[in-house]
Amino acid sequence: MGTVDIRNVRKSYGNVEVLHGVSLHIEDGEFVALVGPSGCGKSTLLRMIAGLEDVTAGDIVIGDRVVNHVAPKDRNIAMVFQNYALYPHMNVRDNMGFALRQRRTPKPEIENRVNSAARILGLEHLLDRKPRALSGGQRQRVAMGRAIVREPNVFLFDEPLSNLDAKLRVQMRSEIKELHQRLGTTTVYVTHDQIEAMTLADRVVVMNGGVIEQQGPPLELYDNPASRFVAAFIGSPPMNFIEGTVIDASALCLDDGTKLQLPMTDLASQTRVTIGVRPEHFELSSAGWPATVSIVEPTGSETQITARIGGQIVRVLIRGRTFVRPGEVIHLTVPADFVHIFDDDGAHGIQVGTRGAKKYA
Amino acid sequence: MTALATSTPRRPSGQFGHRIRVVSGVVITLLFLFPVFWMVLTSFKQQVDIFTSPPKFFFTPTIATYVEYFRRADIERRLINTVIVAAGSGLLSIVVGTMAGYALARIRLRGGATFGVLILLSRGVPPIALAVPMFLVARQLGLTDKHITLILAYSTFLIPYVMWLMRSFFLSLPLELEESAMIDGCSRYGAFFKIILPISLPGLISTLIFSMILAWEELLFALVLTNRVASTIPVAIAGIAGDTINGANWGALTAVGTITVVPVVIFALLVQKWLIRGLADGATKG
Repeated sequence: MGTVDIRNVRKSYGNVEVLHGVSLHIEDGEFVALVGPSGCGKSTLLRMIAGLEDVTAGDIVIGDRVVNHVAPKDRNIAMVFQNYALYPHMNVRDNMGFALRQRRTPKPEIENRVNSAARILGLEHLLDRKPRALSGGQRQRVAMGRAIVREPNVFLFDEPLSNLDAKLRVQMRSEIKELHQRLGTTTVYVTHDQIEAMTLADRVVVMNGGVIEQQGPPLELYDNPASRFVAAFIGSPPMNFIEGTVIDASALCLDDGTKLQLPMTDLASQTRVTIGVRPEHFELSSAGWPATVSIVEPTGSETQITARIGGQIVRVLIRGRTFVRPGEVIHLTVPADFVHIFDDDGAHGIQVGTRGAKKYA
Repeated sequence: MTALATSTPRRPSGQFGHRIRVVSGVVITLLFLFPVFWMVLTSFKQQVDIFTSPPKFFFTPTIATYVEYFRRADIERRLINTVIVAAGSGLLSIVVGTMAGYALARIRLRGGATFGVLILLSRGVPPIALAVPMFLVARQLGLTDKHITLILAYSTFLIPYVMWLMRSFFLSLPLELEESAMIDGCSRYGAFFKIILPISLPGLISTLIFSMILAWEELLFALVLTNRVASTIPVAIAGIAGDTINGANWGALTAVGTITVVPVVIFALLVQKWLIRGLADGATKG
């Protein structure tokens, strides 16, 4: 069984605690992405699942076995590293078969499994090459081949695409997704790239400062970010934030005195809040929040407008083309569903509109 | 080294600079080789030709000095001794030093770094200061004039040397290689022997060669710790140079000197491929 259960796990280096009690349950066959800025503890958590780092406190359970003190080789996991870590003195075939040879698998079976993995990944013609004779994408594929030959309970990926160029990254992303759909092996995938996390994972776990900020299916994180951090992290281009003070239940006063109409809220007057609106949720209209255009960037399929509302910069993404010019004042409206309100310290979302009717935090 | 310096890609504007580099490379090489050349030349001269002024480049060569001193200086036995001691201390040091270097590079130990520096510091002690204590220890143990004594004595300075060279070599290898091996089913020892050692082979071999050359030409400990049975070639040279009764015989000195150098040169040529690969690998592998 490929379930992974992380129970209130902590990690300290000396006096510095880098993971402050993380709990996460991963179902058999699930694809979970750990995402967050560098230093958030995502790689450390992955390495703890792999057994490459000790667990300071808490338990890590793979299947139904607590593995805190089990050596990496006995956890039946496979890991793909950012720099691939292919063995440079072995050819592709030997690299892929290494783990099986370690377990004294009979030769014909190794041969079969290596060949079938090579077929899946399109590596058949490269089996006799040394890693140094391979391109970055091919090395990446060999690293994955080495992992799938094992038929492990869990796949662990540590930023596997970071060393590839943008185009190859997109291609390999699709291949990883296809592979997961085909093999159905439980996968834990670490990345700092939210797009990778969103597109690949069944469930995205956003980490920050050694704790889990929020976890859920990608679109739920996009629709209902629990904190300003998650809101800013998920989505591209990132969400706009406008700070101000609530003056009555449906109006916000910015610091320069500009007043913006808000959807109805039950916020008390004089509360400091931050309004979050995704660039793609703004609509141009004849009335609404007034904004002065500073930059217009057409890309053909859409147009990105940078504008100022009461001195605060916002990005607006309009499908198709628009003919606004820099210096012009436009009016922006946002459907109530798409207005996010965060309290002053950014820690919690505050209910608003129909989508936000469930209070998240 | 010269070959490395001159192999930079040629650009039209760099032609002149390229020539300068080639010329200075050749000049420096000649400068280094001249004393060796002069030694070999002198070894084939007759006694009367050695101190002529101006020096003679053309003369009737003779191998008389070689024939005489091969016997008189007991060269055959000394050569065998030197091979035994150089190979023995080189191999012992590479085995111990490599494992110690790996431990220093990879295993987090309390005080590990300090320990490493202390071992390196031991190389800062002038060998002459250790010679007499070592002799006393050897005598107490009944180990004077034995191969094993020199092998152990040389290992005291070769092990730190190997350890530090291999440590930096191991540090240049990505940590993920071992982690990957450990996930793939190896213990730490397995990862070391099956993955790290094979990758390190070029560095290992060049370090071994340098260690053996250091041992090959060592004089001080050989002089103090051996007498006749285990005496090495450098001791013979010192004996000839320091002959207070007959005065230094320069012909003999250069002949024995040449005999000392030739095996090293042949050896270096044979393993040249490894030597250069080892040097380059250590520098560039990321």
